[in-house]
Amino acid sequence: MPNENQAPDYNAMADEDFRAMVRDWIEAHYPPAIRFPIERLHRKDTKVWYDLLAAKGWLAPGWPVEHGGMGLDPSKRVIFIEELERHGCSRFSDQGVLMIGPLLMNFGTAEQRSYFLPKILTGEHIWCQGYSEPGSGSDLASLRTEAVLDGDSWIVNGQKIWTTLGNDANWMYVLVRTDKTVKQQEGISFLLVPMDSPGITVRPILTLGDSDEFCEVYFDSVRVPRDSLVGELNAGWTMAKALLGFERIFVGSPAQSAYALSRLETMATHLGLFDQPGFADAYGRLAIDLADHVSLYSTFIARLRRNEPIGADVSMLKVNQTELYKRISQLMIDYADEYAAHAGLIDEIGGVQPSTIWLHSLQTTIYGGTSEVQRGIIAKNVLRMPG
Amino acid sequence: MTPDQEESLRLVRDSAGGIAPRTGDFKRIRALRSTSAGFDREIWSQMAGLGWLSARLTEDEGGLGLGMAGFCAIAAELGQALAPEPFCSAAAVIGLLPETLRERALAGELLVVPAWQETPGGLHIGTDARFGDGKVQGAKILVSAAGGADAFLVTTQAGLVYVEAAAAGVHIESRGTQDGGHFSLVRFDGAPGTAVLGQLEDALEDVTLATSAYLLGAAERAFAMTLDYLSIRKQFGKFIGSFQVLQHRCVDMKIQIELGRAVLNEAIAVTDEGGSIHERRMTVSRAKARISDLVSLVSRESIQMHGAIGVTEEHDIGLFCRKALTLYNQYGTARWHRARYLELSRTKVEA
Repeated sequence: MPNENQAPDYNAMADEDFRAMVRDWIEAHYPPAIRFPIERLHRKDTKVWYDLLAAKGWLAPGWPVEHGGMGLDPSKRVIFIEELERHGCSRFSDQGVLMIGPLLMNFGTAEQRSYFLPKILTGEHIWCQGYSEPGSGSDLASLRTEAVLDGDSWIVNGQKIWTTLGNDANWMYVLVRTDKTVKQQEGISFLLVPMDSPGITVRPILTLGDSDEFCEVYFDSVRVPRDSLVGELNAGWTMAKALLGFERIFVGSPAQSAYALSRLETMATHLGLFDQPGFADAYGRLAIDLADHVSLYSTFIARLRRNEPIGADVSMLKVNQTELYKRISQLMIDYADEYAAHAGLIDEIGGVQPSTIWLHSLQTTIYGGTSEVQRGIIAKNVLRMPG
Repeated sequence: MTPDQEESLRLVRDSAGGIAPRTGDFKRIRALRSTSAGFDREIWSQMAGLGWLSARLTEDEGGLGLGMAGFCAIAAELGQALAPEPFCSAAAVIGLLPETLRERALAGELLVVPAWQETPGGLHIGTDARFGDGKVQGAKILVSAAGGADAFLVTTQAGLVYVEAAAAGVHIESRGTQDGGHFSLVRFDGAPGTAVLGQLEDALEDVTLATSAYLLGAAERAFAMTLDYLSIRKQFGKFIGSFQVLQHRCVDMKIQIELGRAVLNEAIAVTDEGGSIHERRMTVSRAKARISDLVSLVSRESIQMHGAIGVTEEHDIGLFCRKALTLYNQYGTARWHRARYLELSRTKVEA
């Protein structure tokens, strides 16, 4: 009899068997009400999924087994994520798993690891990311929220913005300025801050899509212990860059565009649009653009599965996918007639949600580095164009 | 691809320098423009000597066994050097020739091109031409490299027919193309021919895919030349490649080139892994459509970024535009291939 406390050796399974196991389990357990969400869902809607994954031991596919993860090799991790996307699984409050776990495993102290990692796996700690500031979006290294050492405490003052699901989190990992006398990138540190600290104010920002997935977070002389620092002082920028690893390829996943195109197809079938040559031609181009994006994405996935490093060229995926998503959303609006005016699902055009998708698509070429910033990165680091 | 195949492919690429140099001028290409053959039979013999003409044939058939991957790698090398030799079409049909002819073709002594087209714009194989009593009656349009070919593989109502170019009743009317080559109207007026077993359908997909690889190679070279120019040309005291507007447009070209490469490689894999003709056609169509479109984008942008020197006959960047114009719509326009892909993807859903 296998020991039930022992995690199975997933990496020893054949890929197809592993895929089938993951698929079956997702189909049997994933809450149907939250398939294919357009916007990021709040903790109240995704907690049930978080807890199911946690109980199964599947919350952290990429973490090593000794830290409570699945310990999947790159190939199996890709399969795991592909199956989540295929079923339309929502992202949950995943900053702890995706960012803080790897950060502490790479740069944290033994105490930090043993204190924080288990609390991510139980869902006791829900993390958010304190990076962007009102004056520091695309130019993140210019951030000004500062931390000053006062005895055994850091005193934090400043403001963060676009904090995804900041209103769900009870902890934040924050990039703060700890040295103003050196080059911008060399005076930034990583701090871990409880959201219930006195002096923190969280204000949700309503998006055009009427979603409050982003927040502003104010720091007014917030005091945190000296050992809240992760890694070396003033090494925060380097660590933040090192965290842009495995997962960043998934910003180029075709999932958003594929879902939007499937909604467009539903709408077009309902309205008989495929009989209109103009529509059929425009739809056909988008269908091929999507198929070709999948081809390009697959080459990056193949690199991941071979455990090859992903370079700056991954930005091409993000630019191409998000801009395609916008084109598909635009075609939905173009053919939705007056119904484009309404929010939510609209029965008259096949029960689809053109304005919701269109408004959402607008933010995708901004968040995670705008298309313009991504093009700058590609020009500099891939094409080596002059500065 | 096996390690042996990869090693062979590397050798093929290394040996390409003499025929399709990656650096240097385009004097050879310019000198061959508007000649009656349009290409160099001596170079064709060298290609035969390197085994390139047999790349697509299996080792059992006396070939290099490099599959479509090897075939397209050679085509891409030729494309980046704008080599005018009709590799994509002539080498792709060698496998259809009967054994005695095939040996001469592989040796480079006999150059056979397909004559299959009766309507422009797509890959419809024309079969209005008739074959009876050993004679071919009919006409083929837009035949490539007819002026330098020894024989034609003609599609007819009765199947494939081998007809020598010098045979009685073969009349060739050539019209120059922008790249300095020509397309020809070939009339067969009771021309003597020999029936050949087999179908052109598969080979025509190979020709289309290899042409896509050739075009991608050309686009990559034009793009590299443009990036080089942006790094040396100064205006307003700065390298023009430092201007954000040009950087972003270069990134757009790069994304299209990488999309083209990804789709091309997928189509190659479908071919080499024995995919059905249905799957092959779907991926070949995506490859030709994507690559035709990106080649025209890169052509327009390369000229624009070179500025006034780009529109001179003297500058080599224009040679890439002329090649793009010649091959852009050949073996199916982007529009035709998109339509074919969508048609096939619908029948796949229904099947």
